[in-house]
Amino acid sequence: MGFDQFVTDRLDRLLGYATAITCDKHLAQDIVQNVLMRAQGKWERIGSMDAPYLYVKRMVTNDYLSWRRRRAAREIAVERSELARHVPSMADPADTHAEREAMRARIAVLPRKQRAALVLRFYEDCSDAEIAQVLGCTESTVRSQLSRALQTLRTHELARSATLGVHS
Amino acid sequence: MNDLIRQAIKAEADERVDSRTVLADLHKAKKRKPLGLIVGVATLTAAAAAAAVIIPTAIKKTDASPAAQTPAAQNVLLIGTDEYHRTDALVFARFEGDGSATIISLPRDIYVGSSPDRINGLYMQDPRKLTDAVEQMTGSKVDHWAAINMSAFGQIAGIVGGVEVCLSAPAKDPLSGVDLPAGKQVVAGDQVLAFLRQRFDLTGGDLDRTKRHQAFLAGLAAKIAGDKAVMMARSVREAIQVDQGWDVVEFAARFQGPVKIRTATLPVGEAVQRDGTSGFAVDPAQTKQFVEKQFNGEGPVRDECVS
Repeated sequence: MGFDQFVTDRLDRLLGYATAITCDKHLAQDIVQNVLMRAQGKWERIGSMDAPYLYVKRMVTNDYLSWRRRRAAREIAVERSELARHVPSMADPADTHAEREAMRARIAVLPRKQRAALVLRFYEDCSDAEIAQVLGCTESTVRSQLSRALQTLRTHELARSATLGVHS
Repeated sequence: MNDLIRQAIKAEADERVDSRTVLADLHKAKKRKPLGLIVGVATLTAAAAAAAVIIPTAIKKTDASPAAQTPAAQNVLLIGTDEYHRTDALVFARFEGDGSATIISLPRDIYVGSSPDRINGLYMQDPRKLTDAVEQMTGSKVDHWAAINMSAFGQIAGIVGGVEVCLSAPAKDPLSGVDLPAGKQVVAGDQVLAFLRQRFDLTGGDLDRTKRHQAFLAGLAAKIAGDKAVMMARSVREAIQVDQGWDVVEFAARFQGPVKIRTATLPVGEAVQRDGTSGFAVDPAQTKQFVEKQFNGEGPVRDECVS
């Protein structure tokens, strides 16, 4: 597959993935742009791989995980969780929008690697093996990252339901 | 709960930017390769210089150190970096004892001497390497350096609530989102970053952009006074690093009010290729002479309007 074709096919998906792991669309744009320009330079090699998309996704993920300004990312997340807290506690549990936004806020404050694993599973529908490849770790690490993330989200979900006076 | 997670992640992903914008950016960046890959975070020359001025101004306010004598002039190298700590903008500044300043923008893609590395790659290796190269190139001593992550600059622009600039022609560019009429005006909010970020469709390319930064910086410097300085300092302090042993309080004593700034851009010679990367060579004698002249206050005065 040629580079231009790859970009045409995958750019939008890649931006969606990067936005979901970074929770910052501008940072996501910067990372994707930078990665694609680097990938283009060695496309002969990447293009001939079995799964170029997986490899490029790995580049994007690495860039984000090694991104040094961690504080800023956390600030965005904190800001969002702050917002979530102000979602009226009397909200109708059937209000799916509020529920979703609250979940978004909780995902945004997860550790970066856990969030990446979560996004790969629930947005990219990757198998454990594929996630391991993207994150550059073993499958058992993937499983533990995912279960820790889910546990955190579940704890919060329970707490939230409790304050709303409903049982999930 | 898994469905909720799925929906939440999808909602997050749906915030992504339009892929057509990114595509256009990629294509244009490809064409502009000879000038160096300018991708991602904007080059905000102004931010670097502004930070060096703002921070000490605020420190002075809180520490209230009495200035016993007129401080000596200092040459400061200002390094604007992106989020990845790569050098995006270089400014060599001379701050006089009376608080006036001369700044010279150094194009990033310069090769110094016979080094295979362009100047914008040196800071990441070692700040010392960069200051040595600048001293070698300009023949002037680098007394201190300050590096700032320029993404903090959006906040500064917000705090001052607008800066006066003058455009010689209207600027409209869907890519950066800039949409400004010709003439003297106050740019504020989103237009500030767009104005500084526009790099395509400028006749002079990166050079025009540098001029914009300088115009903006001059406008911003005129606004640095009073309580605003403290707020500005607070927002950029996290994003700035200075060399150890720089007595910023002593440095700050020279700033009594709005800062007068004169700006210039170092002329470069022919484009050269080294190790498959292109950049610019500089004439050593001419460069030294240029810097000396500027620092002596003999340079031409900046045009009031920029393109």
